[in-house]
Amino acid sequence: MSTNLIDSYVSEVGRRLPRKTHTDIEAEIRSTLQDMLEERSQKTGNPINDEMILEVLKEYGAPEKVAATYQGERYLIGPRLYPIFMLVLRIVLMVTGVLAAIGLGIAVSQTLGHYSAETIIKAIANFATSIMTALGNIVFIFAILEWALFRAGVKIDVKGMPKVKEWDPRSLTKVSSPNQVKMGETIMEIVGCFAAIVIFNFYPQIIGFTPSLNGALLNGNWSSVTLVPLLSEAFFYYVPFLTMVWISTIILNIVLLRMGRWTTISRVFAIGLKVINIIIAAAMLAGPSLIAVTNLSLASAFGNADGVRILMTMITQGVIVALWLAIVAGSIDIIRIIYRTIEGSK
Amino acid sequence: MTNESFENVILELRRGMIVLAVLSQLNSEQYGYSLINSLKEHGLEIDQGTLYPLLRRLESQELLQSNWRIEADRPRRYYVLSDEGRTLLPRLRKEWTGIVSMMNKLLKEGA
Repeated sequence: MSTNLIDSYVSEVGRRLPRKTHTDIEAEIRSTLQDMLEERSQKTGNPINDEMILEVLKEYGAPEKVAATYQGERYLIGPRLYPIFMLVLRIVLMVTGVLAAIGLGIAVSQTLGHYSAETIIKAIANFATSIMTALGNIVFIFAILEWALFRAGVKIDVKGMPKVKEWDPRSLTKVSSPNQVKMGETIMEIVGCFAAIVIFNFYPQIIGFTPSLNGALLNGNWSSVTLVPLLSEAFFYYVPFLTMVWISTIILNIVLLRMGRWTTISRVFAIGLKVINIIIAAAMLAGPSLIAVTNLSLASAFGNADGVRILMTMITQGVIVALWLAIVAGSIDIIRIIYRTIEGSK
Repeated sequence: MTNESFENVILELRRGMIVLAVLSQLNSEQYGYSLINSLKEHGLEIDQGTLYPLLRRLESQELLQSNWRIEADRPRRYYVLSDEGRTLLPRLRKEWTGIVSMMNKLLKEGA
């Protein structure tokens, strides 16, 4: 009897199964195939042959189909996260749309007199890129969440929904004020984070100076308008990290909006985000300059040496102060969250 | 109703019933293939792709227990009701009888 075919079949099924269970399932399939072959051999009165094996394997089904029956339904974003995912998506699309419109407005205003189809095409292309990138980021974050929930072994019942404690309406009165989520503050934070994600990821060009704008306004020579970028490459090195923090903050806020109250887990998560923010701000303080403009670039743009010196000092010191403020504000927030956790648990 | 919709409804009906059918046959130990045959003899055809994952699920829900045994020079996995499964089966049987009599009444009225 050619067992090679059975071995190949079983191993084909096995390599599509989770590591933990595949040996056990493989052994069971092999045992069943042997039962099926023996029964067939007894019925026909013929010894087991290759033809019989082929017939049995065909009846058992394609390896990928067999393996799929053991896995249950698997999702990139499952039913428990889908409503939150859709909510995030709607907010992102709305904010991205608004910011894209602002971007288009800025682009048009900067090319007044030279308004062209190219400007519109570029703005539309930027918009499409923004939407796709935002969508990709959100799907990526939610897919990680889904995977993490699955790995954490959140129990799933027969209908595929997570097991939850029986809801008691009396729990509503137990919510004390320190645990209540402030709607306005939360929504503002969501919008602020989205704005930051979109601006720093998709419209970094709008952060800068247009020193010749006044001249252009006076003499109408719009082609002389140039943009001096404010932020250096060193700053944009931090943008992916900041983006992850902003996306996580948005998800946390959306979860809070849905739950309506703070829990210990959400507070721990919030503290974690604040700590990451402080680390990033500290790294920015210690790292290379975040400012792209130099005395030289400002001088060539403005022409006034004294004014340039003062402006450079203001910008450099302004960034340092802003970073220290971020660290201090983050630390105060952490203390506030811990205080509210203690108050809320009373 | 198209044939496809009909098949889908039948599939849904069977899905709920199969769990009880399988539990009902596992008062005494059976290995997978013998269980398929025993259900077939009673008129319920069930393929391996449905049965084995279901057996694993019922075992993870602690309604069944299983053990490997060497028989005729090869291993076979035997399944049997656990204590929890034995407690649950009469309750499920009663529930099922109630469903059948309720459905009969509904279908009689609707005829």
